[in-house]
Amino acid sequence: MQRALTYGVLTALVALSLGYFGEAWMGWVLFYIGLSVHLGMHYRNFSRLERWSRKPVLDASLEGDGEWDRVFRRLYRHEKELLEKIGQRERDFARLIAAVHAMNDGVVLLDGGFRIQFCNQAAERQLGLRSATDRGAPIVDRVRHPSFVDYLGKRDFSRRLVLRLERYFERVLAIELMAYAEDCWLLQVADITQTDRLDSMRRDFVANVSHELRTPLTVLSGFVETLQEMEVDAEARQRYVHIMGEQSQRMQSIVEDLLRLSSIESAPPPPDQPVDMARLIDKLHRDAEALSGGRHRIVLDSEGQGNLLGSESELVSALANLVSNAVRYTPSGGTITLIWRVSAAGAEFAVQDTGIGIEPEHIPRLTERFYRVDRGRSRSAGGTGLGLAIAKHCLSRHQATLEITSTPGAGSRFAANFPAGRVTGG
Amino acid sequence: MPDSVHVSTQFDEDLARLRTHVLHMGGLVETQIAASIEACISGEVDRVRAIVDTDRKINDLEKAIDDDCAHIIARRQPIASDLRLILGISKIVTDLERSGDEAKKIAKGVRRIHEAGTLPKQYGIGIRHLAEAALSMVHQALDAFARMDGALALNVIRADVEVDVEFKSIIRQLITHMMEDPRTITTSIDIMAIARAIERIGDHAKNISEQVVYVVDGRDIRYDKGAIK
Repeated sequence: MQRALTYGVLTALVALSLGYFGEAWMGWVLFYIGLSVHLGMHYRNFSRLERWSRKPVLDASLEGDGEWDRVFRRLYRHEKELLEKIGQRERDFARLIAAVHAMNDGVVLLDGGFRIQFCNQAAERQLGLRSATDRGAPIVDRVRHPSFVDYLGKRDFSRRLVLRLERYFERVLAIELMAYAEDCWLLQVADITQTDRLDSMRRDFVANVSHELRTPLTVLSGFVETLQEMEVDAEARQRYVHIMGEQSQRMQSIVEDLLRLSSIESAPPPPDQPVDMARLIDKLHRDAEALSGGRHRIVLDSEGQGNLLGSESELVSALANLVSNAVRYTPSGGTITLIWRVSAAGAEFAVQDTGIGIEPEHIPRLTERFYRVDRGRSRSAGGTGLGLAIAKHCLSRHQATLEITSTPGAGSRFAANFPAGRVTGG
Repeated sequence: MPDSVHVSTQFDEDLARLRTHVLHMGGLVETQIAASIEACISGEVDRVRAIVDTDRKINDLEKAIDDDCAHIIARRQPIASDLRLILGISKIVTDLERSGDEAKKIAKGVRRIHEAGTLPKQYGIGIRHLAEAALSMVHQALDAFARMDGALALNVIRADVEVDVEFKSIIRQLITHMMEDPRTITTSIDIMAIARAIERIGDHAKNISEQVVYVVDGRDIRYDKGAIK
């Protein structure tokens, strides 16, 4: 300001003295020219500002003269600070959005009319939304499941909604709606397919255990009642007691298998003790012959030398299960081959039989607890329904896999494949 | 609407509500189809009653939506894309309602089959495949309508061929089965009716998609093989 004022006063003084000492008009002309120059300079700066204000970008070329320069510099600084702040905000915002997209749970933001404002990638996957085109569309236009539409319509969001989309994606979703800010809703979608499956597996397991125990228990209590209420001769009593003994034996073996399964599940990893496989296989061979009682031909086919590292008792129970299954499900006169092969890739213990075989649709489920291909047959053969579950568990604790191949009517092959790390020189 | 701006926002709201109703009805039909197929494969005959009951709700919705369409035409005299939308909707709901009827037919067929015995296992997989294809067509047709996505609608129309092929292979299988063992004819005819119903659902989905193309582009591509490519 000072400079402009000084310039004005100076011009006036020079013009006044020129007018006083010389001609009056000359003073006026000088005064006029001086002011015009001044005005011109202001106008130049003003037009710069005007040009800049049309497209206010950070432009270092915005330089002015005199007082204007300071104003321009302040503007420039202010602009830069603003841009920095905006940039910072944008980065924060992008980070926040990226975090929401990275979530496993689906998030959809809805306005008061339940129109989609935003959805993350998980929600796109789970609900089949498309954030590019679905913004502003009512959510019920996209997620049309009637129970979801009803849920929104009732406006009672105290409980979450479990949505089964089994037909389309085999998915079970848990949906929760929360109010936030003013008349805004946050829809949270969690994929609970896994937990739902676990829940139903647990329910099935409890139901199966109860069922398996109830069957012999019914027989047992029936005979107890008969013996209590009726006079029976010694021979019949003997027969009843024998059946009762069998049934209680059955219950005991189920309970034993259950306990073994749970103890394996909670036990620490098996120790790395060398197990003498030659002796173990010899024992399996003798056990198989004893169980078969001469009804089958049992062949031993051993190749290569090597022992396994692991827990002997677990390996015995796993492999003995495979052998006893083969004996049980092979009709008289069949052949059972016990195979033991050691190679650089690892070791394999397999049981090959010429039994009835298994239909392919049952094979993936064989190791489920209490899964039975044929209920009547397997019970009459004396199985508890847990043998293969125990075998698979024991094997997987030794990083071994159980491979089942079968041709219905021609026989089955159950093979336990141990990795090389579990094999030690014999 | 994508290509016109209305002065009257009330009109916009009416149209949006109409669309939501159609999609709501579509959602119901989808679940009906899924439930009837589920009943078919699992053999849970108890579900049939619920399916038959829900069908009534679908019929009511069809009438209500048709009524709304007539009202909007009478009161607002829509033009261009709005008129196409209303005309399209009134055809789409007919197809949806018929799909619902087919689902009901499937459910009743399931009841007949399971009253006489069980669904022979070898057909379970074929029916499931066919149903999954048809169901995904219905779902995508409704998505195309919701998003006004003409390209997606054309995809659905193309997918109908696959459903037809699948249907024919089931029929062939059934014929061989019936020739081998005439005792299976009763069940086979029921299975054929179910497969036929599913195939019809695919056709309805195709019709819906054709209407979507009409609404979006103003092109009538019915009976026009060249337009699909």
